[in-house]
Amino acid sequence: MLKLFRQLILRPLRRDLTRTVLTLLSIALGVAVVIAIELSGDAATGSFESSLTTLVGKVDYEITANGGVDETYIARLAALPVNARFSPVIEEPVVIIGQGSTTLYGIDLIAATTFPSRDREGADLETSAAVSSDLAARLHLHQGDPIELQGRDQTLHFTIRTIAANQNTEWVGVDIASAQRLLNMYGKLDRIEVFVSPGENAERIIKATIPATWDVQTPGARSEENSRMLRAFRWNLRILGYISLLVGAFLIYNTIAVSVVRRRTEIGILRAIGTSSRGVLLVFLGEAAMLGVIGSALGIVLGRLLAAALLGMISDTVNALFTTSTPGPIALSTASIVAALLAGTAVAFFSALIPAREAARVAPAEAMRRSIVEHETRLHIRRDLVIAACAAVIAAILCQFGPIDGRPVLGYAATLFAVAATAMLAPAFVTGLIFLLRGTLKRIAGAAGLIAGRSLVASLARTSIVVTALATAISMMISVGVMVGSFRETVQVWLDNQLRADIFVRAQGPATAGIYPPIAAPVPEIARQIPGVAEVDTLRAFEFRYEGTRATFAAGNVDIVRRRRFLRFLSGTFPGPDSAMVTEPFADKHRLHVGDVLRIPLGNRTAALKVAGIYYDYSSDRGTVLVDRSTLLNYLPDQPITNIAIYIQPGADATKIRRDLETRLRDFPLMIAPNEVLRRAAVEVFDRTFAVTYALEAVAIVVAMLGAANSLLALVLDRRREIGLIRYLGAATGQVRRMILMEAGLLGLLAGSLGLALGMALSAVLIYVVNKQSFGWTIQFHPPVLLLAGALLLVWAVTVLAGVYPTRFAAKLQPIEVIHEE
Amino acid sequence: MSAISIRDVTKVYEGGVQALRGVSLECAAGQVSALVGRSGCGKTTLLNLCGAMDFPTTGEVRVAGQVTSKLDDAGLTHLRRTKIGFVFQFFQLLPSLTALENVELPLLLSGAKNSEAIALERLHWVGLDDKARSLPYQLSGGQMQRAAIARALVHDPAVLIADEPTGNLDNASGDIILKLIRRAADELGAAVLIATHSAEAAAIADVRVRMGDGRIEGIEC
Repeated sequence: MLKLFRQLILRPLRRDLTRTVLTLLSIALGVAVVIAIELSGDAATGSFESSLTTLVGKVDYEITANGGVDETYIARLAALPVNARFSPVIEEPVVIIGQGSTTLYGIDLIAATTFPSRDREGADLETSAAVSSDLAARLHLHQGDPIELQGRDQTLHFTIRTIAANQNTEWVGVDIASAQRLLNMYGKLDRIEVFVSPGENAERIIKATIPATWDVQTPGARSEENSRMLRAFRWNLRILGYISLLVGAFLIYNTIAVSVVRRRTEIGILRAIGTSSRGVLLVFLGEAAMLGVIGSALGIVLGRLLAAALLGMISDTVNALFTTSTPGPIALSTASIVAALLAGTAVAFFSALIPAREAARVAPAEAMRRSIVEHETRLHIRRDLVIAACAAVIAAILCQFGPIDGRPVLGYAATLFAVAATAMLAPAFVTGLIFLLRGTLKRIAGAAGLIAGRSLVASLARTSIVVTALATAISMMISVGVMVGSFRETVQVWLDNQLRADIFVRAQGPATAGIYPPIAAPVPEIARQIPGVAEVDTLRAFEFRYEGTRATFAAGNVDIVRRRRFLRFLSGTFPGPDSAMVTEPFADKHRLHVGDVLRIPLGNRTAALKVAGIYYDYSSDRGTVLVDRSTLLNYLPDQPITNIAIYIQPGADATKIRRDLETRLRDFPLMIAPNEVLRRAAVEVFDRTFAVTYALEAVAIVVAMLGAANSLLALVLDRRREIGLIRYLGAATGQVRRMILMEAGLLGLLAGSLGLALGMALSAVLIYVVNKQSFGWTIQFHPPVLLLAGALLLVWAVTVLAGVYPTRFAAKLQPIEVIHEE
Repeated sequence: MSAISIRDVTKVYEGGVQALRGVSLECAAGQVSALVGRSGCGKTTLLNLCGAMDFPTTGEVRVAGQVTSKLDDAGLTHLRRTKIGFVFQFFQLLPSLTALENVELPLLLSGAKNSEAIALERLHWVGLDDKARSLPYQLSGGQMQRAAIARALVHDPAVLIADEPTGNLDNASGDIILKLIRRAADELGAAVLIATHSAEAAAIADVRVRMGDGRIEGIEC
């Protein structure tokens, strides 16, 4: 068996080294993409564990409340008859003077386990700080260095007493009292961390002590929540990766099929002299498995490199759209290596099953004739058309169903059925289109055109597979392009309606989802005093939890919103007292309609807010609940502002007003942006979000192109005798080259046409099913026609280029080498 | 001037195998010459040299007045397009083209006008016009060989070369093929050179060249 394998498989693979390398690269890239998405996704979502663990120790519970925790409860909890320690925590953005913003932790430094004991005892706690090793390294900070921190409306000086080692994030830690002073958060905390002695069960008594509207959860619950939030995003990336692997699978099928066809004479001879059909089957499956193992191993190495390239893009998206996360290291574990090897090999193995069984099934005499598969493909065109229609109908039906466990599983299944429908349609499409073009091909390109078209139809099974693989990759490019283009246009229109103010102000800090640093109290009034300012709209936003998921609660001046912005409502209208309007994603996630009542814990009470309206919003898929500021103040008095929108009078000098604003507010850590800057930044965030998608698309196209080159080379090798004959009959080398390039061009045209149709169908699935069910947004259909046309043309041109190497081979063929072969 | 002129030609392949040893032969227009001999005597090698598919190690092969070994690739292509027609033992039709398209192919390659009409006429000449739209797999062996002859003659070549043209055919089909080959010489004025084991094929020839061990052992007229 091994000798048979060596002679029938290894030697030909070595002889056709170019094709072998192309096949291995196809498998490797497909596996690399899948691995890279997993590794970079894991690293980008990083650690949601609190960075405070090394400072304060491992937390058992976190007590939180929407709108902040009342500090007075620390004393009540400390008095409980339990073996537990209760530690106050503040976690907010802060500005390091001259260096930019970072995260500030305010903690009980006396209790902090790693803080120098001298400072725990001494009077320097007020001005002592700890910094993470990452921050220290970036800013070249050392123990004993001074550091100036700017809070909401004052600046305090600290001395670095500790540098916390092995941190994968940047932060500054100060005593809780200093943090409260700096941020003007007297009496308020972000959470209380609880440390329980082993064996102590404190949860029940804690819950009985705190208000019913507060939450007690384990730190793991927050990680779990974050992971759930990112699940849809990660799954969408995974599907893109699997498509690359699927394209690779088509091409492995084709490679093995070509192997079978090219060695049919040897197979026939072997079968005639007694080799069993099982032996033939095992030999070809062995070839596939070997290619799978080597390709997967190469893919693992490539995947690790690709993961490093993708990490930044994915991390940016996670932070911009979902939650704060610091990327962790890319960890290529033994388990992931084994999984990748198994996946790549399995894909290669199962892709090869049909052609290998074909090789094993045929009787010796039949093996001498041209492949049975080609004949059967032509025979079954009608049957395949019926199957294609059924698959398309199933895909359409699956799109009617909702998500399963929050995931658009049936939407994904619909895309697979759509690809299957395309695969079954391909033979009829190839035959039909070439038939329609036959006269034109001969008229414009003579013999080259005639033979190019006929050759593709003569190798119908193989042509169909290559066309399907290329079409699948092209459809991915089209569908994602249409989805992103439509999304972009929808967001642009929304920005036009939403960002109506002339100048926007927020506190300095990271622009990440869920973080709303407060603005000092005097700022809005200072802005109102500036000549030329017509109106100042203020907003208080904070992150809150509703039914186990995190969203944004916002309170503003509904009257100004009604007058100044053009909100588009899905249903309902603006809220009045004790009512709210919610964004489409929020309503979608929680299955809300106008008239439903939201019960939201705010402070120590539960607010019952009637849903007055549901409006379109694309700022985040977390969802937002918006009330009038007066409603919020009923439950949470003394709420700081987090965002300001300034409307200037018609005809006033916007640049002068902005400069005036910057001058008067220079002592506050603020970011002041004119409308066009914010709009541009929003679009940049949008484009960055999809950068990773474009990268994955490009990989799928590269895999398909490698497959096209491989298949064209195979077509040429398989037709050496024909090409030699055509040369003998009077074809110049230029004519032979033209013939091969025409075949490549026709392949590109066939794949492009089919890919465009499939791509438009998939874009509808992505927009109306997958995206809607994953994130809750309604996207208007706006295909970027020029961009798509350009991309299709480029792909077609690259397909033609893929024919260049095979033409060199074909043009060198001498009739004497091949004509007398039989 | 002879249509085919072979002067003192030897052919040695890689590895030192000497396929031809000092062969000289002349074939006139309108004349059928048959090469007979055992397998391995050099018949096919000689045909390949006359068909400008291969070149002598020493000596000269002149086809339609041109020394083949002095031609570059473009020159050889032109020679094959205009002066030489080749009929193979195993027909060598392109399986994806119809009979008509196979016959038309040399004209398409040379950019000739009215190629389809000329090809149809040639198919009629070989008695296959009713099979013009059939693909090769739909034809019998004899029909395929007739189509191959039509293709070889569609451009009115000065030289027709046939390598065992009846080797894969039954007697009846073989007879039809031989008649067509004879007509090619008589009606079209082609110089015909056939390699054959068949006595019937040798019988239609004007000249019978007996070959053995790479040499011409005898010529009978």
